[in-house]
Amino acid sequence: MSASRPVGLTRDLPAARVMWAQVDGQDMVVWRSTSGVLSAWDNRCPHRGMALSHGFVRGEDLACLYHGWHFGCEGGGCRLIPSHPDLTPPETIRTRAFAVAERGGVIWASLGETAEPAAETAEGFDNHRPLRSFEVHASEAAIEHAAGINPFDAAALCLLYNPIQPDRTLVTVLIDARADKACQKQAARWCEAIRREAEA
Amino acid sequence: MSRRHALNDWYAVADEQSLAQGPRQTRLLDTDIRVGGSFSAPSVTDAHGRALPTQVKFDHLWTTLGDQPRPLFDIPEGDEPGRRLVPCGMVRVKCSPLRAVENFLDIAHFPFVHTDVLGAEPHTEVEPYKVEIREQNDEVWATRVKFFQPLAAKSAEGGITTDYEYRVPAPTTAILYKTCPPKPEAQDVITLFVQPRSETECDVWPWMALYDDDTAFADLIQFQQMIFLQDRSILENQRPVKLPLDPKMEIPTRADLTSVAYRRWLKKRGAFYGALAESL
Repeated sequence: MSASRPVGLTRDLPAARVMWAQVDGQDMVVWRSTSGVLSAWDNRCPHRGMALSHGFVRGEDLACLYHGWHFGCEGGGCRLIPSHPDLTPPETIRTRAFAVAERGGVIWASLGETAEPAAETAEGFDNHRPLRSFEVHASEAAIEHAAGINPFDAAALCLLYNPIQPDRTLVTVLIDARADKACQKQAARWCEAIRREAEA
Repeated sequence: MSRRHALNDWYAVADEQSLAQGPRQTRLLDTDIRVGGSFSAPSVTDAHGRALPTQVKFDHLWTTLGDQPRPLFDIPEGDEPGRRLVPCGMVRVKCSPLRAVENFLDIAHFPFVHTDVLGAEPHTEVEPYKVEIREQNDEVWATRVKFFQPLAAKSAEGGITTDYEYRVPAPTTAILYKTCPPKPEAQDVITLFVQPRSETECDVWPWMALYDDDTAFADLIQFQQMIFLQDRSILENQRPVKLPLDPKMEIPTRADLTSVAYRRWLKKRGAFYGALAESL
């Protein structure tokens, strides 16, 4: 079964914004329509293979940067081919959609049926909130090691990992919901220190 | 073996300005070569120091790795009096040499990639045009191509509907004939000479033969380089990196007739260097 992976924070992807993500080796475009509908698709325009993560949002559609083809957030079907504006695009032209979900202020995506995070992870959402999501050029093991030798005591942190390459990991950090501003600042500095340590 | 067909084509590997900077190492079809000398006494050698054939044409130095090279095509407009010949230097792109040529043959991207220069919304429609393989010299030609352009050339003032023709005389060369703003009865010639370093990386040498006596040389080059750098942001983000020749892998539309003909023509010739032909 395919695991659900954290790919970014809800607050980092406002309406009409687009980002790149990777889940278990699959390149994805994750984007939010103007009305707020979240989608995760194969990062490839079916027309000429352009990365859709370079595209732009027009209303409820994501448009490819190369030729402006529009794909609708409901199902990923092609809705407009600007070189032939009067043509109704055939049903068969569509992007490949993946499961995506938002839980605990984090965006989750999966190659499987559902992007719901594992129950034991979801338990933490009640008393934590997202601190930040950042890329580290190191393996999960190296980051765990760095975190192990630099314990952070001020408040409980929860680290979530999404391996991108053997030496490249997206880290999402949740912090105890009761942590005050000073504690959050301290945690942000700790994240930086861990990143430096793991990449050294 | 994808290199076999490509070995017997000629490739631009230097212009006069790059030679003036002294000899340099470069790559051609996954092979190290050394390029030096001058236009009057050029030298291209392989990794063993063996001299490779050379010729100077269209303001570039050309070489080939093959034992039986096909003759280098001609561009007769380059000899017409009154034209300014403008080699535009080199741009390196991490993409298939064939993707670089195909992008050059495409007009539908102008409003989105060269916004407010070669195209602008809402003028996105591509009118029907004609594509053919000319049997006598086995070249791809697209004619009667029309497109609205806000700033078609350095010499243009305001938007015009530009007439285009495209010619592909070799897998890694594309030639464009387009309306010349100050001389409507003539056509500017813009070409792309692609030096394939590997199947996924190329050095692109644009060359122009224009009727434009007013614009400074540096501005002409800068205009062409700006256009090409915009293209590079696309070319380095296409997947798969190699050009798929299996028609099922990417979905064309009527505006892509030139690209469809180019892919078929490559397939028919067996010109698979830089192409994804495994699934055929």
